[in-house]
Amino acid sequence: MKTSVVGSRVVREDAWGKVFGQTKFPADVNLQGQIYAVVIRSPHPHARVLGINSEQAMSLAGVVAVLTAKDVPNNSHGVLFRDQPVLAEYIRMVGDPVAVVGAETEEIARAAAKLVEVEYEVLPAVFDPEEAMMPDALPLHPTLRPTNVLYHMPIRRGNLQEGWAQADVVIEKEYSTQHVDHAFLQPEAVLAHVDERGHMVVETATQYAHYDRGEIAHALGLRFSQVQVKTLAVGGAFGGREDISLQIMAALMAWNTLRPVKMENTREESFYSHSKRHPMRMHYKTGATKDGKLVALEAKIIGDAGAYSSWSINVLRKSAVHASGPYVIPNVSIDSYAVFTNNPYSGAMRGFGAAQTVLAYESQMDLLAKEIGISPLEIRLRNLFKVGSTTATGQVLTGSVPLDQCLAKIAPYLQRGGDSQ
Amino acid sequence: MIEIKLVVNNKPYTLGVEPSERLIDALRNRLGLLGTKEGCGEGECGACTVIMDGKTVNSCLVLAVQANGSVITSIEGVGNRRSPHPVQKAFVEVGAVQCGFCTPGMVLSAKNLLDKNSKPSNEEIGIAMSGNLCRCTGYDKILRAVKIAAEEGKE
Repeated sequence: MKTSVVGSRVVREDAWGKVFGQTKFPADVNLQGQIYAVVIRSPHPHARVLGINSEQAMSLAGVVAVLTAKDVPNNSHGVLFRDQPVLAEYIRMVGDPVAVVGAETEEIARAAAKLVEVEYEVLPAVFDPEEAMMPDALPLHPTLRPTNVLYHMPIRRGNLQEGWAQADVVIEKEYSTQHVDHAFLQPEAVLAHVDERGHMVVETATQYAHYDRGEIAHALGLRFSQVQVKTLAVGGAFGGREDISLQIMAALMAWNTLRPVKMENTREESFYSHSKRHPMRMHYKTGATKDGKLVALEAKIIGDAGAYSSWSINVLRKSAVHASGPYVIPNVSIDSYAVFTNNPYSGAMRGFGAAQTVLAYESQMDLLAKEIGISPLEIRLRNLFKVGSTTATGQVLTGSVPLDQCLAKIAPYLQRGGDSQ
Repeated sequence: MIEIKLVVNNKPYTLGVEPSERLIDALRNRLGLLGTKEGCGEGECGACTVIMDGKTVNSCLVLAVQANGSVITSIEGVGNRRSPHPVQKAFVEVGAVQCGFCTPGMVLSAKNLLDKNSKPSNEEIGIAMSGNLCRCTGYDKILRAVKIAAEEGKE
């Protein structure tokens, strides 16, 4: 197939505006008469809000409104399940928003936010996903799931007992990865206003404008046709702008005050505002014959979903599907879980669950090679997917599977670098 | 309010600023120069880089009053669509621009390097750009663009 685009060098349309500093990110747009809004977030990982006293804040000159859960018509949002409050009365993580303050200037809004008194009943919190999985652990989302196990994905292939019987070498190890923040360079910002048609217009940087629109409409009790989301330049996202951050709060403030509302996160607020990469605990047991052929894999992967479901089901599904790596293994048992805890919620991030398991399955390959006495390259060459291979999920690979070419290209570098151990 | 005088992009200004006001706030809010970006507010990311009296600074760490009497170049003072600076041209052509939020700061760090050192080594380029973070992780192309701009400037 011939094409004039694929394979040619194309200058991206938006690059010129960016090198001259002309490109508009959401912090760069303003409207006449706008107010500024600032969020008050919970310092507790698990708590009930008993009361919010905004009298002192409201008495500060320039404060326009303090909004709380009772001001939200439908107080929920979420990409898979609407399990996340716009403004929380029941706190499931540090950083859950409890109130939003609107004022004539950002300085006044920040000063007023400090004057809002929130009374909490602090509850015991669970931070370890394996503890949270215990049957006696308090479920964080009882209406969604009876336990904290949001999702379980089992994959079975072949016969594991036969696999272990064939194995000359077995490596069993535990691997874990940590939370990672996307730290996209442009902190979240929103400009929301009610336009001359009476429509809610929200300008923001988002990965998912049509979803934002639906969630804003749902939370405010508006029709889809009454909400417009304009995506301005997106200053990095990497999955971290798939969920709602400030959009609904800005819209709610604009809808209530009929003033244009600007919100801008500081970097610190940004860390509290969006999802994280799932920390995963990965228990791997891998068996191979003495000539380096993989024969069995048993893996248990526990992903910390944190306080809300976000994309956890899809992420842990991908972890399970990719858990055997790009290698043919005839006998497989994989179980992946997404578990609620009181940690920051986990969501989409580059790789979407496929990145974490690499640490486990590739480390296992290196350890097996060492044990068997062949090179790390050799053990991979003996097991990698080729056209016609069957994956752990039973997929027969018929398309492009150029792993052998990839390894051939890096082989000279591996040799030059010596033993990868 | 404290009165300061400064030159920004070759234009003289007299501004009344708050004692706690940062240079980035004065540039963005008082002068409307929105090309200067705030990424972290604590001097880590370099998105707010401007050139102040021949040195690159994080404008989030400089008080507006400290800029009194200074000559400042922000991204709006570098090149335009009719005649882009060699750094800007190279960034576009090499593909060193992704989300673009770091780009103004990157361009200014590169420009300031080339203003002082027209034949920088790779190491000198690396050092000059080390204060600017790119979370799209396009560093390779960014460094290549600076190299190409340096070579173009030599001709």
